[in-house]
Amino acid sequence: MTLMSYGEAVVDALYTSMKEDPTVTLIWGSLTGVGGQSPLVAKIKEEFSDRILHPPISEAGMAGIAAGAAMSGLRPILPFGTASFMLRAWDQIVHEAGSVHYMSNGKARAPIVFHGVHGLRGGGGPQHSLSPQAMLWNNPGIEIVLPSSPADARGLLRSAIRSNNPTVVLDHQRLTKVEGDVPEGDFIVPFGRADIKRVGKDITIVAASLQVKAAISAAEKLVSEGIDLEVIDLRSLVPLDEETILQSVAKTGRLIVADETPMRCSIASEVIVTVCEKGLDFLKSPPVRINRRHGHIPTNLAMEEHGLPSVQRIVAAAKSLAV
Amino acid sequence: MSDEKLIRIFEQMLRIRRFEEGVFELHTAGAFGGHYHLYIGQEATGAAVINALKGIDPIFSTHRNHGHAIARGIEPEAAFAEILGKASGSQGGRGGTFHLADPEVAMPHTSALVGGAVPLAAGAALAAKQNRTGAVAVALFGDGCFEEGVVYETLNLARMWQLPVMFICENNTPGALAKAKGGNNTSNLPDGRVADTPRALKIKTFEVDGSDAIAVSELMVECRKICAEKSQPIFVEAFTERWPGNMYSFPSMVTGMTDFGILNEVGVEKKEHSEWFDKGDPVLTLARVLLKKNLMNFSEITALNKRVIDEINQAKERALAAPEPALESFSEFVLVEEAQS
Repeated sequence: MTLMSYGEAVVDALYTSMKEDPTVTLIWGSLTGVGGQSPLVAKIKEEFSDRILHPPISEAGMAGIAAGAAMSGLRPILPFGTASFMLRAWDQIVHEAGSVHYMSNGKARAPIVFHGVHGLRGGGGPQHSLSPQAMLWNNPGIEIVLPSSPADARGLLRSAIRSNNPTVVLDHQRLTKVEGDVPEGDFIVPFGRADIKRVGKDITIVAASLQVKAAISAAEKLVSEGIDLEVIDLRSLVPLDEETILQSVAKTGRLIVADETPMRCSIASEVIVTVCEKGLDFLKSPPVRINRRHGHIPTNLAMEEHGLPSVQRIVAAAKSLAV
Repeated sequence: MSDEKLIRIFEQMLRIRRFEEGVFELHTAGAFGGHYHLYIGQEATGAAVINALKGIDPIFSTHRNHGHAIARGIEPEAAFAEILGKASGSQGGRGGTFHLADPEVAMPHTSALVGGAVPLAAGAALAAKQNRTGAVAVALFGDGCFEEGVVYETLNLARMWQLPVMFICENNTPGALAKAKGGNNTSNLPDGRVADTPRALKIKTFEVDGSDAIAVSELMVECRKICAEKSQPIFVEAFTERWPGNMYSFPSMVTGMTDFGILNEVGVEKKEHSEWFDKGDPVLTLARVLLKKNLMNFSEITALNKRVIDEINQAKERALAAPEPALESFSEFVLVEEAQS
């Protein structure tokens, strides 16, 4: 175990992956936006300079090139920097990378990592604060990964780079400086296994990315109230670990989902409807969605903060459920 | 170029032509639905470009892909079956007319989105360059792609990174006369041509008569050499005659099934579409060249024609008789399910 920041763990995964597989190629955008503080960044630049490409600002072109390269024997990593910019390459992500395995009847594949920093970041405003995970989830053929801790960031990114599918990895700006113990060497986190970040008995709270942190803080605050939250970190949306969610709800009978995407067709909506379909009898009270408030993201910092699901909103929801 | 190669290209063009006539018949008979596009009139470009490639060179095509697929080596039976949505199709019926492809013959993916093929080919060129495979990647696309921004982005990237990719633009926009008669535009560009854009980006650019199989073939051999040896992008604008049957939203066999008898019709009164028969049709044009050069005589052309027609008809019949895919397979291949490598 090594204590490192989330950003350092991302860079460490990148270094390890590039070292072990010579086809891993970095189309260098701003992964430094996550891991700029790591001394490993300079080492990657030096050691793998022939596998780092410096693109112009051409998201659609870069994503199409990454897709074509992945169909032809490379494992490209394409960081968009801000996840909002993925919309400029939606066609290439969804229609080219996302469809080629299906459309070729299983003959072709596109092993790409699309990377972006999602969510509210402090003054990002309406065009730099997107959390595209829910809208990505509506497209077949793409894996979606949302780490919440340094260990998961390293383990999940390594899985993403090894995956034979197009995989979107979304990091949150507000997690990059969070520190934690990270296993070294061959450690990976496989997709489709949610992690119970805190065991509890009264209410299940499902979250991903930054909201896991909020859920854990809320759980700590609620201890004094005698409310015991179980915090489930989804880690990957595709594939989704339905079993862990259902087992938890079977135990607690109550469900909150904290989710930074806008509410309609959100991650919260999808998780809750899955529980309703497959475990309605477990529920003792209606499930609760805590989403980004309805509206675009204003640049004003206080307004922005107001829009984000918060510890306070989770605490309030838990109290109302526990009555 | 060798006589054998020219005859091989002619045979390939003829196979594409008979295949496309077969596709028209199938659609007319209601054997498959939806919109579709035929490659009639552009056979010289596709056959000559692909004949200049090595087996490892991947090609990426568009909605008008049938000719490229046949020339690249997808068997006519697998191509017919794919268009008919059959299990034995090149992609098990999941792709259809808009997406004929097969990674096994270096045609990994065909995008029906305007401009979609262009960055994919540049990406395959990046893979070839990084992995030092020696392959040259090829994008085949129409002039309409220049209405899409991703094409500009890709040209710039390919030049910045010096990727071994050949951008082959088949400009099939109709001439002024055809437009005046109500023909569909393939693109809305101020000049009706595109070669100045790659030139502005300092990409080595050529223009060629796309209905002249010999000219295209000789140019492409040279282009592949430059592209591979110097690792740089090449742009070719091939001007093709627009087949009158492509003037409408759905193909229409206004010129009839190709009849080599027309080669013997001397002094016959001008038919409708005489421009097409005299100068436009690349298959008839190359047949005339072969006759003039004494590379084939008329009875040899007729015999080849019969052999190709028989081959295509048999492929079509077998494809029609092939089974439909199992409905239960709908959700297969959404993701690669095998254990991570």
